[in-house]
Amino acid sequence: MAASDEKRGPWYLRACVHAILATGALFFLMPLVWMMATSLKPLSETMKYPESASDVFFGVGHRATVDGRRHEVILEREIKPAPDKPFYVVRPREAFSAGELWLTFGPETWTKFAVFNLQELGQMNAQVTPEMKVLADEKNRFDPGAGVLTLHSGRKVPAELVRRIDPSADGSPLWVVREWRPADTDMREVGSTDREVTRAWDVLPASRITKTSRVIPENYPIALRRVGFLRSLINTLFLCVMTVAGAVISSVLVGYGFAFLEFKGRGLLFAITVATMMIPFAITMIPVYLLYRDLGWVGTFKPLWVTSWFGSAFFIFLLRQFFLGLPKDLLDAARIDGCTELEILWHVVVPLSRPAIAMVALFTFLGTWKDFMGPLIYLNHPTQFTLSLSLQAFYAEHGGTPWHLLMAASTVFSLPLIILFFATMKTFIRGIAMTGIKG
Amino acid sequence: MAASLRRHLTGYGFILPWLIALVLFIGYPFIAGFYFSFCDFPPLKSPAFIGLDNYAELLEDAKFQRSLGVTFIYAAVAIPLGVVLAITLAMFLNARIRGQSFYRVIYYIPHLIPTVVVAILWLWIFNPKFGLLNIVLAGLMNLADAWTGLFFGLGAETPGQGFVRPEAVALLAAPALAAVSMGRLVPQWVRRRPELKTFLASVAAAGCVAALVAILNAALHFGLPVDAKNLHSPGWLADGNPLPSFASFAPSWALWALIVMSMWGVGQMAVIYLAKLQDVPVELYEAADIDGANWAQKTWQITVPMISPVILFNVVMAIIGTFQIFAEPYIMTGGGPEDKTRFVAVFVYDQAFQYQRVGYASAVAWVLFLMIVALTVLAFRVSQKRVYYAGR
Repeated sequence: MAASDEKRGPWYLRACVHAILATGALFFLMPLVWMMATSLKPLSETMKYPESASDVFFGVGHRATVDGRRHEVILEREIKPAPDKPFYVVRPREAFSAGELWLTFGPETWTKFAVFNLQELGQMNAQVTPEMKVLADEKNRFDPGAGVLTLHSGRKVPAELVRRIDPSADGSPLWVVREWRPADTDMREVGSTDREVTRAWDVLPASRITKTSRVIPENYPIALRRVGFLRSLINTLFLCVMTVAGAVISSVLVGYGFAFLEFKGRGLLFAITVATMMIPFAITMIPVYLLYRDLGWVGTFKPLWVTSWFGSAFFIFLLRQFFLGLPKDLLDAARIDGCTELEILWHVVVPLSRPAIAMVALFTFLGTWKDFMGPLIYLNHPTQFTLSLSLQAFYAEHGGTPWHLLMAASTVFSLPLIILFFATMKTFIRGIAMTGIKG
Repeated sequence: MAASLRRHLTGYGFILPWLIALVLFIGYPFIAGFYFSFCDFPPLKSPAFIGLDNYAELLEDAKFQRSLGVTFIYAAVAIPLGVVLAITLAMFLNARIRGQSFYRVIYYIPHLIPTVVVAILWLWIFNPKFGLLNIVLAGLMNLADAWTGLFFGLGAETPGQGFVRPEAVALLAAPALAAVSMGRLVPQWVRRRPELKTFLASVAAAGCVAALVAILNAALHFGLPVDAKNLHSPGWLADGNPLPSFASFAPSWALWALIVMSMWGVGQMAVIYLAKLQDVPVELYEAADIDGANWAQKTWQITVPMISPVILFNVVMAIIGTFQIFAEPYIMTGGGPEDKTRFVAVFVYDQAFQYQRVGYASAVAWVLFLMIVALTVLAFRVSQKRVYYAGR
């Protein structure tokens, strides 16, 4: 024990290193944690400054008990106590158009119509029928003496009183609330700014509302539908398969050629190969684009995978270095046995080089999955979009308001890579070390 | 003769795909781009030679010069910062403690996140109103202000006006004095207990940090009241003003945001340095220990020289990379505010695909290429005497 301590350094230094690394790790993980936290929040919670530290990561929700049943509710607006302006829940005796109400809904109408503004309601031509309860306030006046509900449109409808809500019953403020439903997490809500006219469900005193945390997994299916996830995933996977196959086959062939075969100008060609790694993408981007345009390939997937079948400088370099480290005797023995070069490659070199080849496949997969500029330049129809492009298009389209959906889609988009990383950790670490050796 | 010819042909056969790529996807575009840069090349027409006109326009184009400036400022800040952070992190990750593989994975993970996700995630983090960074920053700044306010009048209503309590300066200087005198004035009974000594040293160190926070924060309030006010809720990507505000050449808030974001991916570089650090022969450190070298000497005389080839490699790759930064500014700011994040690659893309000025875009791309070559040569020149190659 003492000996190992000696080697590892004194305990307080180790504690110090732990503290620094753990703090740093916390900061490095924080963005990802926040990404997932946001993806599970209700929309309204992403647009609110957190009141406490826990609000940063957990969406706040509210719960209220109405008629003995517990409901998840959203607080719409606060009403100052005013004893002279009571609210009534009433039951109209004849049908009328829901558009004639001002503070639209009551308990049942909200559940039934579930729209977010008056225009939508008008378009639906929704009818309030006598069995529905309606909320009456200063805009939709109810006269308890006469039993008449005066709608915002001016029409008078006979109605019967169900419940009277006294704004100063127990001195606590009142809230106009509505029931929370999974559809709320959709973005339709974003556009509606006329908060006053919509979405009243009930009026409750603050004392009957309790604060809870609200986690909304429904964000995920909605986000994926909006981004067009399935389509993009298929597109991306198609490109990944094509580029991985192309990069592996071509780089192995070319790498083998540079490593073991002798031909005129090999050294010079290899030097040129290494030098091309210095050429920035911006230089070749324009002429290559014009080339593909003349071939009629712009707007198809071809520009995004065909090049990989011709090899890439970096992988050729990497594989050549790896091949040179293989025992040469084996190759010579195979040659003496009369194997052709392709047979040697397939039966001797490939089996010995699995880790390096796996690395090429892995890095190509990652590169294709993450690529943004290529699809941006060459694809122009949304049905062709890759995940990167779909996500960016979704963001650009909505100007960055539905953060909960953006974060949900981002999480799903990143997760496969993180899983892949943990599944192939060994190959990964070896690959990183190999790229580092280059220096 | 025939056998030798066959051997050559087999060789060419194997590298044939790459030869085609070299000609078609690298050589041809390289030369064609060079030719286009001397042409007027409107969309759907063939290029017409116009000599050096594109390059002459470059010299006059204020927008291009701004984008070049942005790229250089970014490179000048982000590259050195990245190298220092990555090496520091690599040294910590190389320390002999338990759970290192866990830490290494954590620091590497950000590199796995796709660029578009990184851009959108950080847009949300940099959101001035509801973003994580400003929420955390506001909390930290309020703490720092409260602490500083104990010693200095910060003049909250009128920034820049305040007073200094003399007794405060004395109090703030105390931990520093304590730390300095640690070695001399420590009584014998403390010296005999190494744990106690460490504990007292940490208390003094913590005091120094706290004092430093107070003094720096006060200096910020008295010296740069605009910055001090901004720090409580920066506009980040929407703010084109320089930070610090007195230096017009300094990175804008928006550029700082991109720099901060790029530091999130520093783990990848650190892992590369780490691989090299682990290759440094232990005998070197053992020899240094025998010679009585301390930690700083070992770092400067052994560690840094031994990993210097990787540093050079990473710096060169970073230079090339900086000139290609595209997705992040394109998605996050679209080049704004006031072109303060319009990197050259974004400029080239705009010219080529937005304005369809292929000839002009090619000229910009070529200037870019020459700059990369020049900077790379410079990096090699500067490092020639400082980079240590084992066995050479």
